[in-house]
Amino acid sequence: MDIHIREEGGVTVIKLSGDLDGKTSGEAQEQILPLVHPEGRLLLDMSQLNYMSSAGLRTMLLLYRKVSGSGGSIVLAGLADEIRDTMSATGFLHYFITTDTLEDGLAELNAATDNAAPGSAAAPGSAG
Amino acid sequence: MQPLVVPGNLESLQAIRDYVMAAAAEAGLDRRKTNRLRLAVDEITTNSIVHGYDEAGLEGDLRVEAQLDDQRLTILIEDRGAAYDATQHRIPSFEELTAPLDSREIGGLGIFLTLKGMDDFRYERVGNRNRNIFIMNRGTE
Repeated sequence: MDIHIREEGGVTVIKLSGDLDGKTSGEAQEQILPLVHPEGRLLLDMSQLNYMSSAGLRTMLLLYRKVSGSGGSIVLAGLADEIRDTMSATGFLHYFITTDTLEDGLAELNAATDNAAPGSAAAPGSAG
Repeated sequence: MQPLVVPGNLESLQAIRDYVMAAAAEAGLDRRKTNRLRLAVDEITTNSIVHGYDEAGLEGDLRVEAQLDDQRLTILIEDRGAAYDATQHRIPSFEELTAPLDSREIGGLGIFLTLKGMDDFRYERVGNRNRNIFIMNRGTE
């Protein structure tokens, strides 16, 4: 598991590489959750993430709650089919905005900021 | 395939997944079935390590063996941790699985994914061993 963090145009881009499982999810949580700030915008680049178990779903749940609780927005970019299946079967996918590419994800976050009322999270299901 | 024996700790999860992926490739499972099998085995072995060994104050190995015949791939996993039968676990309801994430209980998803994803899944307690049996029919759906 490798986590790379950078800022791009006011968006925090978090790139996850490898496997998000029972061993790595705790460390991922510790690194990612502190990056959520009030009304912040997060892009999770999952294009190099090979695998996610229910431990990874737990990480996603905590992240979602922290982002929505702080009036921020989050987009997931580049999900592998396998991870999409896991998130779909458990009813997670419906609540996240997903895009195929990083560029589309950034565009989505910028559009959401332009259109949304201050402090509101972007509506799910509007992209991808 | 030659059985794999690894220590019952979280460091072993990757090696177990690698073994299962190799078995799935040998069986010719498609991408979706391969992921479901990998996920099921990973969820159950994570439970065995965390609940069966760690939380019970026990130590031991996990033994993983793939068996292949014309119709199906079977993965047998044995541990010597506390007895635990995943098939008796309560599965989240449809309402719980579709509820907004803000009001979700996170428990039970791993076992849900296991039971939903496998063509057949069985549990046996043999002496002081848990035996979890994962069966996937070969070929595409």
